[in-house]
Amino acid sequence: MARKKSKMICPKCGDEMNHHADKLVDAVTPEDLKHVNPTLGGVIEEMHHCPGCGAVESRRAE
Amino acid sequence: MTNRPLNIPVILGTTRKGRMSAHAARFMVGQIEKRDGVKTELIDISKLPMPVDDAGEGIKDPTFSEKMAMADALVIVTPEYNHSFPGLLKHILDSCLKEYIHKAAGIVGVSAGPFGGVRAIQDFLPVIRELGLVNIFWDVNFGNVNKVFDASGKLLDEAFVARADKFLNELVWMAKTLRYGRDNIALDS
Repeated sequence: MARKKSKMICPKCGDEMNHHADKLVDAVTPEDLKHVNPTLGGVIEEMHHCPGCGAVESRRAE
Repeated sequence: MTNRPLNIPVILGTTRKGRMSAHAARFMVGQIEKRDGVKTELIDISKLPMPVDDAGEGIKDPTFSEKMAMADALVIVTPEYNHSFPGLLKHILDSCLKEYIHKAAGIVGVSAGPFGGVRAIQDFLPVIRELGLVNIFWDVNFGNVNKVFDASGKLLDEAFVARADKFLNELVWMAKTLRYGRDNIALDS
């Protein structure tokens, strides 16, 4: 599965964030349905954490 | 590793009038406050905006979301209602997801009967797991809670100090470990 390689930048402090988890989430909206991974059975949400300030962010995996 | 203090809020998970769980939650806040390098606060779900005409992230409250995002671990104080935890506690927890991932959770059970919320805790575990939280293997069980605290919230059974201490030792260890992982260990490393 392709994965975004670019680091997320913390919107609070500007540090690079660490991609530490992928979470399988159910598709809820019509937009979600376009991004369902048929092999895994849901949408993969990347979870990112900022080592600088502790902020968290997520984004949909490609 | 950053020098930010660990942040371990205590969630009071019931809105019921006369709730004895409030005494347990305040007790846990007091025990956490004794620890160096750890900060805490009481989050009372009865004080949160909680619409019931939607659910999940559709009712996300920015203040609660921010508190969860900046937490390193959660202490969740839950009473046992009809052998489970309160529906409104799940309603509010379901409003977040990314905020919880790879963070530690410890559950404090409260009951008027002798079992200290063990059935509520057992029911809670699959929810905790799906939210991405990492549950510790210590609980604190306030059974017969009317004998544990007086009406003013004064602790009547000092054994709970030692029990809370063991619980918090494990929770702090897990919180530090998971913070190190969130800070430093990439998923594809």
